[in-house]
Amino acid sequence: MEAFSRYLRIWLASARYSLVRAMMFRGDLFIWALVELLWISVTVLTIAVVYSHTSTVAGWTKYEMLLLVGTSMLIQRFLMGFFWSGIYEMGRNVRNGAFDFVLAQPGDPLFMASTRKLELDGLLNSVVAAGLVVYAARKLGLHPAPSDLALYACMLACGVAIHYSALVMAMSLSFWITSSQGVEGSYFTLMEFSRIPREAFRGFASAVFVWVLPVVVVSNAPARAILHGFEPTWALGLCAATLVWFALAVMVFRSGLKRYTSSSS
Amino acid sequence: MLKYRHAFVVGLQSNLVYRWNFAARSLFSLFHLVFVFIFWGAIYAGKASIGGFGFTQTLTYFVVLFVLQFFIGAFNEDYLISEDIRNGLINQFLLKPINYFAYRLSVFASARVVSGALGFMALLVALPFFSGYLALPHDGWRIALGLPAMALTALIQFSIAYCFGMLAFWFLEIQGFVILSMAVETVLGGQFFPLDLLPPAVFHAVSYLPFYYQAYFPNAILTGRIGLGAAAHGLAIQALWAVILVCLAEAVWRRGLRHHTAAGG
Repeated sequence: MEAFSRYLRIWLASARYSLVRAMMFRGDLFIWALVELLWISVTVLTIAVVYSHTSTVAGWTKYEMLLLVGTSMLIQRFLMGFFWSGIYEMGRNVRNGAFDFVLAQPGDPLFMASTRKLELDGLLNSVVAAGLVVYAARKLGLHPAPSDLALYACMLACGVAIHYSALVMAMSLSFWITSSQGVEGSYFTLMEFSRIPREAFRGFASAVFVWVLPVVVVSNAPARAILHGFEPTWALGLCAATLVWFALAVMVFRSGLKRYTSSSS
Repeated sequence: MLKYRHAFVVGLQSNLVYRWNFAARSLFSLFHLVFVFIFWGAIYAGKASIGGFGFTQTLTYFVVLFVLQFFIGAFNEDYLISEDIRNGLINQFLLKPINYFAYRLSVFASARVVSGALGFMALLVALPFFSGYLALPHDGWRIALGLPAMALTALIQFSIAYCFGMLAFWFLEIQGFVILSMAVETVLGGQFFPLDLLPPAVFHAVSYLPFYYQAYFPNAILTGRIGLGAAAHGLAIQALWAVILVCLAEAVWRRGLRHHTAAGG
């Protein structure tokens, strides 16, 4: 409990610093919030174009798909808001030796590296993504019970943890390769799959993207919780995937850290 | 010309240092093709054609887009240029008889040779899985018009990236602008969906914008989505956009230099 409150204090200090910094560069905050908003709009436009030529995709109607995509975006915006900057900078810091600064801080290196900065624009746009989910749910005539909403929130948290783990693993490659520039792109590529309904995956693709890489489960499980209520298989599957992926991320990060030799490692 | 050839060769060597990054990026990009295959496969389920094109034609569109992006896409040229300006490295070019646009274009060409070759190799790995779904037309004129369209696309992509890089003369941080523009370029360039799926009036309007020529146009020529008349007409508009953007790049460079302060010895 004492360790938890210590880490909470450290995180609050980082959050306060990020907030002050964001207020110093308000123009930047505005531009980045606009960037995020535009990317959300682009995705919604894609769905609109696709559904102007068809009524269902893998059995999902337009508003069910919007709910799925909104959920996927919500998870991604939370990841962007809470962890992206810290993890993204990790690759560069490992290469130029600035990671020493993280190691010298009073806490677990992974925690210190990944929670250094909050991105307010990502958090602001999580409101837009949540709005998309609410809009889609209303169009579908859904009235989820408080327990369904609580389940949805827990599943979102699991989704963020899985995304976080995947990103940490991708950026930890910088401990082994010359430069991790562009590696973050691989994360975004993989996360594209979270916008596809599970029913679209068959055979080998189902084994890989639904069971081995939990990119489909992270968004489909919470979206299904809103659409169909509690489904034990999906809930347990998501919890198991969260534990496995987080454990893997910690392992990869720690074994990479052993290779770190300060400047020019 | 000799100095730009040297810049090209040096650029080639420095890009080969990061060959594993490019290779990893190319291989991970294959996941995007898998995404396209699953997503568009679900959209096409039970339908012979959408927007007048079958599944194989649409899949071919995305496979060609994949190759084109590695051969002629501007990845991070805007960032490299902005770093030159921010770090003062641009000063050395002001003192030498070298045109900065031509120098950067040479480096861009060398980077695309490396990334294109590696992207093509990655595609060869995946080809056995996709070859049965590809439907490339065999008209000779498509190659004759497609190649100059590709060259002009590269010039347009580079010029736009160059202009965004030049913003560093006025702004400390340009990534927000770059990613803002990327969202527009991605959707209006036809990277999310073939532009011909847009309502006809919108498609017609978009065909006069430079974004149309950044990816969709050469792809549409090569994959048979547009006929000879539209291709010839488009090539003329594309050439006009290339000239406008090169002139704009030169104008922005000149204006930017007036703002620039070279410090240090």
